[in-house]
Amino acid sequence: MKKKDGMGLDEALESLEKVVQSLENGKMGLEESLDLYEKGMGLVRLCEGRLASAERRIECLTGELPSDLQPSQEGEGDRGGDRF
Amino acid sequence: MAQIFTVTALNDRIAERLEGDGRLRDLWLQGEVSNYLHHRSGHRYFTLKDKASQISCVLFKSSGATLAFEMKDGMNIMAFGDVAVYRPQGRVQLIVRGVKEDIGLGFRYLQLEAVKKKLAAEGLFAPERKRPLPSYPERIGIVTSPQGAALRDVLKTLGAYPARIILSPAQVQGEGAEESLALAFSALRGRCDLVILCRGGGSIEDLWCFNSEVVARAIAGCDAPVISAVGHETDFTIADFVADARAATPTAAAKLAAPDVDAIKQAILSCRVRMMRALWTAHERRAERLEYLKRSVSARRMAAIATDARQRLDYLSARQDAALVQRLKDSRSKLESICGRLEAVGPAATLQRGYAIARSERGLLLAAGDTRPGEVIELILAEGRLICRVMECRSEQSGAQSEGAGER
Repeated sequence: MKKKDGMGLDEALESLEKVVQSLENGKMGLEESLDLYEKGMGLVRLCEGRLASAERRIECLTGELPSDLQPSQEGEGDRGGDRF
Repeated sequence: MAQIFTVTALNDRIAERLEGDGRLRDLWLQGEVSNYLHHRSGHRYFTLKDKASQISCVLFKSSGATLAFEMKDGMNIMAFGDVAVYRPQGRVQLIVRGVKEDIGLGFRYLQLEAVKKKLAAEGLFAPERKRPLPSYPERIGIVTSPQGAALRDVLKTLGAYPARIILSPAQVQGEGAEESLALAFSALRGRCDLVILCRGGGSIEDLWCFNSEVVARAIAGCDAPVISAVGHETDFTIADFVADARAATPTAAAKLAAPDVDAIKQAILSCRVRMMRALWTAHERRAERLEYLKRSVSARRMAAIATDARQRLDYLSARQDAALVQRLKDSRSKLESICGRLEAVGPAATLQRGYAIARSERGLLLAAGDTRPGEVIELILAEGRLICRVMECRSEQSGAQSEGAGER
């Protein structure tokens, strides 16, 4: 189920929530909290990237999709959906 | 005894009996339509049947004009009317005055109840069997007709949610639909995190395949949680009971399946804000602490340090003074003792004993030869001095006397 190129959206969101809670706890030193903030921002970028770049790829197990559901007419992106 | 009837008279007699029976008037008859014929005269002729029996029916043009739907063979209906005898053919029939679709109270309903009972007994509807739906499914399977509006509703509602969507086409009504649906489920095995089974609204017969045992078992056997959304809000099928979640409509199913992308974006934004705030709060706390420490150091703390230092200084200087006084005392007594000793060995004491010191301009006179007659010399006594002129110089005699006046 795991994506080969890192964590999925759910995992990333979960980690992000943990990071935020640790930061809000405020028990750590300056260096540590800055590191954590960096990590959090990394996760934010990851999540946003997942949402932005994600292709909603529709596939059909038997035969072709009806023409109105073909990507070009659904307003889908044209990048081929290498993820999701 | 035995009465002889003509055919007409018999049919009249039968008709009289049947049509005179109040219990055979204004009745509802339930059955399946067959041999349906909409005659060009406008009248409708058909047979209603159940498993074991059948009866002719006629719906005259006048009564059928307001019919809300067109009957067809195989349809289950409820017909309202009166029993009558068609004398030309001696046929008992129902003169139908109103018709409505049988909404599930028929034979099929009994079948449905039987299937439901069986599956319930097996525990297929049990709440503890229900699997939780994944919060962020990455692969969503859809079992439905590729042509249906339900599929379009689901896709539209999923919107920009980033997931792979795998359509497993199935026939959703009519002959063979049950097997088709079951097959569509097995084709999705191992491919999804979540399956949506959906179909738009339709007649109870259109939806009937979702009441089948085959479909129920396909749903129960699916390796991913299943959301069932069949028909409209008011339609409940066995598929709904077996599925892990039931949605009133395909749109509702899609909402249940995946979180709203905007909501996720909102959540991410909120995380960013919370992180910034947490960092800022920590910064402010540090700044406050620094400010506090600064104040402490500059005012009270420094004063305390100064006081300490001053006290120490006072203490040290007091000690130093004492030491100095002591040293002075020591020096003085030492001096006194030295003076005493000095007095003891000095010429003064000797002079006190009657000796005198003689000296000329050239120095001390220790021998008679150190001076000459006529020279003025000085004699230092214990008190005062004498200025004398030398009368005579004698070298050997009374030398001891002159020597004694020397310094030693």
